[in-house]
Amino acid sequence: MSVIDILTRVDAICKKYDKYDVEKQRAENVSGDDAFARLFAAVESDIEAALEKSGMAAEEKNRAAAVAMNAEIRRTKARLMEEVPKLQRLALKKDQGLDIISEGLDTLKNMAHDMDEELDRQVPLMDEIDTKVDKATSDLKNTNVRLKETVNQLRSSRNFCIDIILLCIVLGIAAYLYNLHD
Amino acid sequence: MESAAALGKELGRWNEVSDHYRRASELYIECGRSQPASDALAKAARALEDVAPDEAVRLYTEACVVLEEDGKEQMAFDLYRAVTSIHVKLERYTDAATFLLRLGVAADKCNAVNSQCKAYLSAIIVYLYAHDFQQAQKCYNDCSQIEAFLNSDQNRCASKLFSAYEEGDVEEIKRVAKSSTISNLDHVIIRLARKLPTGDLKELKREEVKEEELLDENDLT
Repeated sequence: MSVIDILTRVDAICKKYDKYDVEKQRAENVSGDDAFARLFAAVESDIEAALEKSGMAAEEKNRAAAVAMNAEIRRTKARLMEEVPKLQRLALKKDQGLDIISEGLDTLKNMAHDMDEELDRQVPLMDEIDTKVDKATSDLKNTNVRLKETVNQLRSSRNFCIDIILLCIVLGIAAYLYNLHD
Repeated sequence: MESAAALGKELGRWNEVSDHYRRASELYIECGRSQPASDALAKAARALEDVAPDEAVRLYTEACVVLEEDGKEQMAFDLYRAVTSIHVKLERYTDAATFLLRLGVAADKCNAVNSQCKAYLSAIIVYLYAHDFQQAQKCYNDCSQIEAFLNSDQNRCASKLFSAYEEGDVEEIKRVAKSSTISNLDHVIIRLARKLPTGDLKELKREEVKEEELLDENDLT
């Protein structure tokens, strides 16, 4: 894998996991499909606006304006307090989902550990198989060479002629029997 | 020899089964093949499990010894688990726990940390099922000396179980028993864990108090 390949791959992975980057999401103001995240972002931004306003109200010299600002802040606070139970319910649902994920991960972890131990068990067995198969291959090669020599010896011309004569005799006998049968 | 033993098993001649398998295993050992030797003994034990469980236990133990002598402890794990299940069936919980601890030792020798921790947790559960809280505590304290167990999920699960026992909280015990850590153990142990707590939790507290009183008496004298 060249450096350029690695860079492209890293970029692809980062893009894939960008949606989990909380700070980036806050910056882009995009919460995706998650209702909890959307509501949470909205409530958070409202709280920040209210805090800013309360800071300005504290510095405000005009008392009427200050009173009006405080009233607005109190209205925002009441509205946000109503949103809190909704957030709690969504958080509960999220918790349940995360619980299920955690159980699945536990099972995966256990399976991975067991597989690890099983592989550790298999490694010396594989080594033994390796040695035994190597020995069997070399034995087979030896036997093949010897067989080749033996067959070559058998193929000397005298034996060949005797083979042909015997073959003709057998064919003759077979033809005779066939004629007899007919 | 093995075929003779298999025939004997089908005919129901149990003494001959174990004798034939033992002879087969001795022959294997003479050829220097420990794995088939242990397999022969394990086959014998499996055949005799229902008929003569004590003999089966003896055969399994011999099979484990054969493997351990040859340094192949990892193959012995299944055999230890089989012995444990026989002991649990016969309700000999102390023996079952002993064998689980031996499994732990074997696992330690071959660095199988996961199996080791699972063996220790199983031993603790067996002691708790036998309603022997002191033994369970002692076992837990001993196992906590081992670093591998100390840092494991099984240790956390065991400590949760003990705190639930000390508080006498039946619901919490049942919840811990249903957790994924325990569900990853051997099915025999899972069955025991689901039946916890056995007996009265208040009795445990009374026993603890009695022990403390005894100690006080000793101090006075």
